Amino acid sequence: MSANSLPTAPPAAGITIRGLEVVYTTGQGQIPAVNGINLDIVGGQITGIIGESGSGKSTLAMAMMNAVPHPGKIVKGSVIIDGVGNMMTLDKESQRRARGRHVGFVFQAAQNSLNPLTRIGHQVLDLGRSHNVKDLRALLRRAKELLERMGMDADRVLTSYQHELSGGMRQRVGIMFALVLDAQIVILDEPTTALDMLSQASVLEIVRSIQEERGLTIILITHDMGVVADLADRVIVMYGGELAEEGKTEDVLAHPQHPYTRGLIRAIPRISGNLDQAVALAGSPPDLQTFVQNACLFYDRCPERMAQCQNHRPPYEIAGPGRKVACFKVMAK
Amino acid sequence: MSLAVSTSSSSRPSNGPSGHPSFLKNAWRIIVKKPGRLIGLGIIVLFALMAIFGPYLYPKQLPINPNAIYAPISWRYPLGTDFEGTSNLALIITGARYVLFAAAMAAVFTVVFGTALGLISGYYLGWTDSVIMRITDFILTIPGFPLLVVLSTVWNFGQPVAMGFVLGITGWGGLARAVRSQTLSLRERGFIEAARTLGLSPFHILFREILPNVGSYIAMNLLLAVTGSIYAEVGLFFLGVVPFQVNNWGVMLNLAVFSAGAMSSAQALPYLLSPLLALLILTLGVVLFLDAVDEIFNPRLKEA
Amino acid sequence: MKNILIRLAKRIVAGIVMVLVVASFTFFLVRMMPGNPVSAKYNELIMRGMTPVQAMDAVRVMYGFIPHQPLWQQYLHYIGQILHLNLGRSISYEGVPVLHIILNAAPWTIILVTTGLIASFIVGVLAGVIAAVKRSSPVGSAITLSGSIMHGIPQFVMGLFLAYVFTTIWALLPFGAPYNAALTPGFNGPFIMSLIRHAILPVATYALSSYGGWLLTMKSSVISVLGDDFILASEVRGIKASTRLRYIAHNAILPLFTIFALSIGFMFGGSLFIEDIFDYPGLGNLLLHAIDSRDYPLMSGAFLLITVAVIVANIVADFLYSVVDPRIRR
Repeated sequence: MSANSLPTAPPAAGITIRGLEVVYTTGQGQIPAVNGINLDIVGGQITGIIGESGSGKSTLAMAMMNAVPHPGKIVKGSVIIDGVGNMMTLDKESQRRARGRHVGFVFQAAQNSLNPLTRIGHQVLDLGRSHNVKDLRALLRRAKELLERMGMDADRVLTSYQHELSGGMRQRVGIMFALVLDAQIVILDEPTTALDMLSQASVLEIVRSIQEERGLTIILITHDMGVVADLADRVIVMYGGELAEEGKTEDVLAHPQHPYTRGLIRAIPRISGNLDQAVALAGSPPDLQTFVQNACLFYDRCPERMAQCQNHRPPYEIAGPGRKVACFKVMAK
Repeated sequence: MSLAVSTSSSSRPSNGPSGHPSFLKNAWRIIVKKPGRLIGLGIIVLFALMAIFGPYLYPKQLPINPNAIYAPISWRYPLGTDFEGTSNLALIITGARYVLFAAAMAAVFTVVFGTALGLISGYYLGWTDSVIMRITDFILTIPGFPLLVVLSTVWNFGQPVAMGFVLGITGWGGLARAVRSQTLSLRERGFIEAARTLGLSPFHILFREILPNVGSYIAMNLLLAVTGSIYAEVGLFFLGVVPFQVNNWGVMLNLAVFSAGAMSSAQALPYLLSPLLALLILTLGVVLFLDAVDEIFNPRLKEA
Repeated sequence: MKNILIRLAKRIVAGIVMVLVVASFTFFLVRMMPGNPVSAKYNELIMRGMTPVQAMDAVRVMYGFIPHQPLWQQYLHYIGQILHLNLGRSISYEGVPVLHIILNAAPWTIILVTTGLIASFIVGVLAGVIAAVKRSSPVGSAITLSGSIMHGIPQFVMGLFLAYVFTTIWALLPFGAPYNAALTPGFNGPFIMSLIRHAILPVATYALSSYGGWLLTMKSSVISVLGDDFILASEVRGIKASTRLRYIAHNAILPLFTIFALSIGFMFGGSLFIEDIFDYPGLGNLLLHAIDSRDYPLMSGAFLLITVAVIVANIVADFLYSVVDPRIRR
């Protein structure tokens, strides 16, 4: 099988992120989109990263590949991918090879992640040639397998152009592109946002089953607590470019510690529950003003703020086995 | 619906009577931001003054001087003289009126035809749209300049208005397309439907709601049409197919190249260069000023 | 493929309608001319001693219609003649068929325009890509500036400038006439060299005056494609730089086909100036000569052929566009 002919990264590769800082330069000044994050992505698990739009979660995902688009810029820090090395210090060619081959990426706008003028099959071949795949026929067979497994007519899809496929189909084609080179780490950036409920469910099911089968390391970026609850082994909550809380999914859902996490959980209507019970998070996401202040980033919106919170940022500290949280109130307990 | 209302009210001050002083103030603030824009404005004003007052500065019949034929550049003749010993500077200054007036008329006709047809086409759609777009395609495809040359056999280009009218008639296609596609995109944003449900008349929707939103296109095109028309009319005169006027820039070029042999004799060179210089400086002025116009009328740039 | 052919057929029908409209336009233009040249010619021939029948025949042959018929009959006759490719006979060239004259002139113009177009397209598009990719460096700004300047200079100024610099200041290249009259036309080395040397300046004028348009359009097109999601996606998938450049170029070049249509008309319009300045015996020069000598059949014919050339070029551009863009084929 082709899978054997392709050299693969060691199983269950993880990612170690240290002191990562990404800055967006705008007309009004510099916005710290990712502000000094330390994070260990455990290999062989599904890690959910959750936050509001603008929390820096997508930027973090792009930074893991050292591919932050302009005007964003990685100012410091390191991202060490097991079996690859530090993405920040590798030479450009090795970085390029790592992308796609070791780390697959499913795009937020995967609807438009394909070249509109080239047939899908040709783009698979372009991908293979870019990564020096010797046996291109085997690669195509692999692509077909993946497509069929996701319930599509593979021959038709491979000879199609992007505009001939529906949104859900394009999303699955995007997943195929992330998996076809047997990457051990797959980052999914809001993979279901643009889909209807049925497609969402089927895409998530595909992710789950492939992960189980191959023991992949999956990073799932989303703003939907429901998706995280369904799929993720661990959850990481981001707020204003910093980490607010992390832990095992069931722990965090059952006992959220950071007031922001609690707000997020309260904001989703339970499928069985009453819509009236959902409470929207008050206030607005942090803006430029928030970042300049010394206060906790969540200070303005926090229902449990204390005097201390106004003058200091809470450190991100261990709060139990496998748990970390950045909140003075939690630490004071 | 709230979108339509808020967008129209935010653009209203720029054309409502009470909004005028602040509009001008804002425009001035934008112009002085960059020296290039000020220079551009200065050049345009200078040429406009030449067009308005130029002919009054000199006698109706410009003086000729048989002793100073193709005289070199001097204090008396800052740009040299022509084949009769007339000052080139005087020719340029008195000739500015025709060139600029015709160009201004052409720009007005272009903008009026282009905007009206584009708006109507994008608003009514259906067969109105297809008829107008067919005509637009026709106008865009037909080689405009040869058409002008052919028209010059029947049309009297002696009057700048007549020249402007014909230039406008042949030049509105591009603007009509642009305005139509803008109107269509406003329609997609639910703009027109929202205004209709409010019971506004088509006239009101077209001219009070949509027009201000395509203002930047129109302003840009107005200036571009000015330069385009200047080139076209000077070109027509240069080819020698339209009535002869001694102080016309294009006629000067024609005579310099084909009669005075300015291409081979250095003596007549100032005669050739004077109208070229006038053309290039005027174009430079318009191009520099366009930058400011873009910012004044483009609401997206304004907010940034 | 079937859809492409339907689209092509529609375009051709529209083109034929357009040619007929232009032909009708010139018919009425000549009819409405002050002093009606057709009647004037008829009277002149009578005065020269022809019988009314002879004079009528002579006028009919020249203009393609008979002065004393009702207008609609004249019009139908004229259109019928055009459909049979009979454009009448020239007045200034003593009764030579107009079609013959314009077909002799057409190659000069078409070769100059095509060469200039292709040269400017290649250089302009490449420069546009560089200007877009290096848009924040001095090199990029310099290239963009060169495009804006070339785009802003009118064709006749460009022609005069080149002529002045390369024939007067440095007598590097010949001026006027399409080839050295002392040489025998034919397939021989010196003659072909002479043709090429004489063509350099006119072609350069065409090329330089449309270079800026291609450059600026390509630049903005590339910049907009660079911002497209699939380009970022291909980077994140580790696609090779050369393949990504191919994706970018392919996507960015498509909008240029629509500009092509406008450019063609502009180029043929320019042939009036360029052939006038460089004394080149093409369609533009012919049109000017016809107007100068009030040779209306020749004028109508030359204008008609210029229009046909522009329409054909448009159809070709549209056809190529539908071939290279799969989204059209639906």
